[in-house]
Amino acid sequence: MLALVKRYRELILVAVLLLFPLAVFFANAKKPGERSRFDRAVLTVTAPIEKVVAVVVTGTLQAWDGYVALRGAHQRAIETARQNRDLTLERQALLAERAENDRLRKLLGLAEAEPHRAYVGARVIGVRLAAAGLQIVTIDRGADDGLARAMPVVVAEGVVGRIHAAEGHSADVLLAVDRNSSIAARVERTRARANVRGLGRPDLARLDYALRSEDVIEGDLLVTSGTDGVFPPGLPVGRATRLQRASHGMFQEGWVVPTVDPTRIEEVLVITSAAGDPTQLPAALGPAVRP
Amino acid sequence: MFLSALALAGLQAALARHLGGGAVTACLLAPLLVHLALTAGNVDGAVGAAAVGYVLDLVAGTPKGLMTFLAVAVFLATRLTGAAVEVRGRVGFALLSGAATLGLSVGAVALQRLVALPEAAPAWSLLPRLLAEAVVTGLLAPLLLLGLRRLDALLGEEEPGLIG
Repeated sequence: MLALVKRYRELILVAVLLLFPLAVFFANAKKPGERSRFDRAVLTVTAPIEKVVAVVVTGTLQAWDGYVALRGAHQRAIETARQNRDLTLERQALLAERAENDRLRKLLGLAEAEPHRAYVGARVIGVRLAAAGLQIVTIDRGADDGLARAMPVVVAEGVVGRIHAAEGHSADVLLAVDRNSSIAARVERTRARANVRGLGRPDLARLDYALRSEDVIEGDLLVTSGTDGVFPPGLPVGRATRLQRASHGMFQEGWVVPTVDPTRIEEVLVITSAAGDPTQLPAALGPAVRP
Repeated sequence: MFLSALALAGLQAALARHLGGGAVTACLLAPLLVHLALTAGNVDGAVGAAAVGYVLDLVAGTPKGLMTFLAVAVFLATRLTGAAVEVRGRVGFALLSGAATLGLSVGAVALQRLVALPEAAPAWSLLPRLLAEAVVTGLLAPLLLLGLRRLDALLGEEEPGLIG
């Protein structure tokens, strides 16, 4: 027996390496995302690598862009005039600054519009949109900055997703377009209820549970309803498209074009506290006042 | 191997941000599996493949064990292919890396469809994205091969089969 094991030990080891993970997968298949302490420790090693690579790549690209731009401006100056070159460069710098200012002003406006909410600003340092896995972006703020699992992540255009896992100085954001994401929503125009479920692709989501009798039309804006306990109400999620009402069944079918393109986000806000403001309720719905 | 996989996973996530914002992705760990299959021994290669799969499980957010199983399976399939046909050149390596990426992602989709709830299961409509990922990985594979060969030279590893 021992001789047999010795003889086939390579084959046995490879078979164990193949079958043990398969057994673990079938045992854990229903609960993705649950990480052990060891998993979290390993992930904390990857975050600094992502940060360093992000800095190096961004720096290299910026240096390259700057070099090419300067070289082009110099050639143009030889051809036309020195003043022309300076003005062109100045304009480019101003446009870049203006674009950044616009993005930050929108985020600031969003934060100021809801003063009872607490926000933490963060930059995207990594993107994982592999079709077979979760749709995740990594941000440069984490548990040490007060972030925790399930906190909503937004930009001025609407919902980005929610915190999936927070490490020391970084966090993974599960995007609203992930197929495990389902957001309770309302049609802004008619207040009809529905769910927006991700499909695992960045450009489209599915409209779920919209009653066939509800008034939903192409282009309707869907906003969070706040009933899922994760996202505060009123945040844009997407616009309804390709709606179909079958002759039978309770629900209509449709798709949603997300308001946020996850491939283009650079800065985000994490809502760390979304305590509701009771003064915003209509008087009849407000807390009862005893004489 | 484990550290290389971690470094590549970090590089992949950071690069995806600059290459179309993640609209098209690459699986940089697949060429690592192919390199293991072509150069390492049976046991150390399978253990290395399992380590790479574990890292893939962590960074892709897939259920535990899924990518580990697929990584070892892809390692074995690549090893068999490598024994049958000559694939040591850059083109062969790129083709194998693309195929390995496709094997990993299609396998992940298929297995998740077996066990996930219908509304949370990945759809086959993702296939064009999986193909694009395989093509991009195949294109990047020769560059990674250069890096991996340098790393092997740095660590003084010999290819088994060349000696003894």
